Amino acid sequence: MATKLKEVDVVIVGLGWTGGILAKELSETGLKVVALERGGMRSTASDFAVPSVRDELRYVHRHDLMQNTQKDTLTIRNNPSQEALPMRRLGSFLPGEVVGGSGVHWSGHTWRWTDNEFKVRTLYEERYGKNYIPADMTIQDWGITYAELEPYYDKFEYVAAVSGKAGNIRGQIQPGGNPFEAPRARDYPLPPLTPVLANEMFKTAAQNNGYHPFPRPSANASRAYTNPDGARFGACQYCGYCQRFGCEANAKGSPHMTVIPIAMRSPNFELRTNTWVTKVLKDTSGKRVTGVTYTNVLNGEEFEQPAAMVLLTAYAINNVHLMLLSGIGQPYDPVSQKGVIGKNYCYQTGAGATLFFEGRNFNPFMSAGGSSSTMDDYHANWNFDRSQHGFVGGYVVGGGFNTALPIGYRPVPRGTPAWGTAWKAATAKWYQTAMNIGASGSVMANRYNYYDLDPTYRNAFGLPLMRMTFDYKDNEHKMGRHAAQVVNDIAKSMNPTSFNPATARTEPWTVVPYQSTHNTGGTIMGTQPNNSALNKYLQSWDCHNLFVVGANVFAHNAAYNPTGPVGALAYWTADAIKNRYLKNPAPLVSA
Amino acid sequence: MTRNLTALAAALTMTVLAVGAARADGDPKRGAKVFEECRACHSLERGANGVGPDLHGVFGRRAGEAADFRYSPALKRSGITWTPQTLDAYVADPQKAIPANRMPYSGIPDARDRADLIAYMQQVFK
Repeated sequence: MATKLKEVDVVIVGLGWTGGILAKELSETGLKVVALERGGMRSTASDFAVPSVRDELRYVHRHDLMQNTQKDTLTIRNNPSQEALPMRRLGSFLPGEVVGGSGVHWSGHTWRWTDNEFKVRTLYEERYGKNYIPADMTIQDWGITYAELEPYYDKFEYVAAVSGKAGNIRGQIQPGGNPFEAPRARDYPLPPLTPVLANEMFKTAAQNNGYHPFPRPSANASRAYTNPDGARFGACQYCGYCQRFGCEANAKGSPHMTVIPIAMRSPNFELRTNTWVTKVLKDTSGKRVTGVTYTNVLNGEEFEQPAAMVLLTAYAINNVHLMLLSGIGQPYDPVSQKGVIGKNYCYQTGAGATLFFEGRNFNPFMSAGGSSSTMDDYHANWNFDRSQHGFVGGYVVGGGFNTALPIGYRPVPRGTPAWGTAWKAATAKWYQTAMNIGASGSVMANRYNYYDLDPTYRNAFGLPLMRMTFDYKDNEHKMGRHAAQVVNDIAKSMNPTSFNPATARTEPWTVVPYQSTHNTGGTIMGTQPNNSALNKYLQSWDCHNLFVVGANVFAHNAAYNPTGPVGALAYWTADAIKNRYLKNPAPLVSA
Repeated sequence: MTRNLTALAAALTMTVLAVGAARADGDPKRGAKVFEECRACHSLERGANGVGPDLHGVFGRRAGEAADFRYSPALKRSGITWTPQTLDAYVADPQKAIPANRMPYSGIPDARDRADLIAYMQQVFK
């Protein structure tokens, strides 16, 4: 029997970037805010100090900052005709599970997604005709515009200490930046990181091929910085332990050293760690939520926390899971295409080449998350005519280093034995001489890529696991072939001693090895209740005092990393709650 | 004679550099800006340990002796007492000055920046 606690104004489920931003913003208004986080506390001083943080076995292979699959995982299949099986070890994606969430172990790549995504169906139909979009491609407009989100991107970039070079300030193209980006009000708060050899070489090669490379914008502080909230950043030391690690130098913008400690100083805010939310509760009308139930994972005690407002801000997959477990909104059915919860799950794709230059020293141990040059000529560039290639979406291409670790990073030319003396000799010979060029591509929503509850398998709390049904479709295969060709053409133009060429993937998606933690969709935002779970303010169409924030609101997936719009949308939602919802607690968009 | 003096000056310079040459002409105002580099981890207030130990009253203190901070064995064993000279050598190249210390910082190569930083810290603790 759950112990019923005293009602609070706001309960926040999951304390990473989105939960942290909302915790700070709403506790400042005087609301009583309680945050429930599955994982434990983490701080730079006590957890990410040198040398213990530089532990590849602990953080990369044993997933110290990630979700524990022994408690909860997903079942996975490629299509509805298969039986889904549980993912018993993390692989393809790595949801974070500590205070700070995936914002602790990300690399910091921060992009502004534009109307190319937010108006995807309108724009493609206008330019290529209605028949260009395949019948099973369930892409739709998001209901928001870039212009609405611009100030919130700016806010997030200044909070997270993004280093980069603007490409378009109020319509003026800026040399050295991304000429295809949408106009921004001002430059990034910090100049780009110091480039490493590999990104200089990629930049030159891309320019020689007529492309427009620029330094990858990332929340790695290129110099010491104090953000507008007063959070202090050290300068990035290029230590090479970025992705999957907490930052030892407080140089990587992370919620645990920015928004969360600020919220924690407020007497209105309370954080309860090691608490696992099992259900969002509704009243009898079904039109309001009344709180959540949760279990203290250290002792098994169950609680009911009543709240006037519930914010789901857990990892994207877990937000959708909670909606399904709580019976809020109609679950999506791929046969009838009715229902919205679970709809439009998307992932990302890619293709990469490894280049070997005998005699060069790339010093791969030295990098920041954002130590790369990248180009947007086949993604944001709307002048790129997709009709010759028959795909929707696009990809970005980059070259450089990010977290090339001593155990895992062992580049060898194709044909090298996979173990033994010859392999050892080859890793020693080629370690210093290799660099990568990689393409990261969008995935368009498809009718048969979705989430629902698994009929067979249950988690440690006896609740049905989330079931993920996903595979790449013809659209992604076409794009993958184009991307591989472009990557290989750039690679060849650099005259390497040898290179392992990029190949477009043709085999079905699998959950191993690691690919990307950019899982999107499932509770998408949209223009009306019959096509989406949430309105443009990320407010549930079904229960107006429930907001769901994270990449789960994306109606499809772009080639870019998701954290830019995730952070911007959290600030956008915070403003909608503060300025409108609190004055008149009702649907912010009439259905 | 001139040659001898030059040689002597060179020899002196080398000796002084080896123990860490702190320029005495630092600008504390500029130094406050340089300290921004350190601020993400270090406070100048007593009892305010962050990622790094607080630096309150650091001059005259033996390395690794402030209360309540878990120092690296390397720093504790270094036997250094913090003076403008030893601090200058340390922040110039921390791993060279005290190998295997845990401060994740590659150093301030510019001698003037270091002089300004130290002048600022001396002013704060006057």
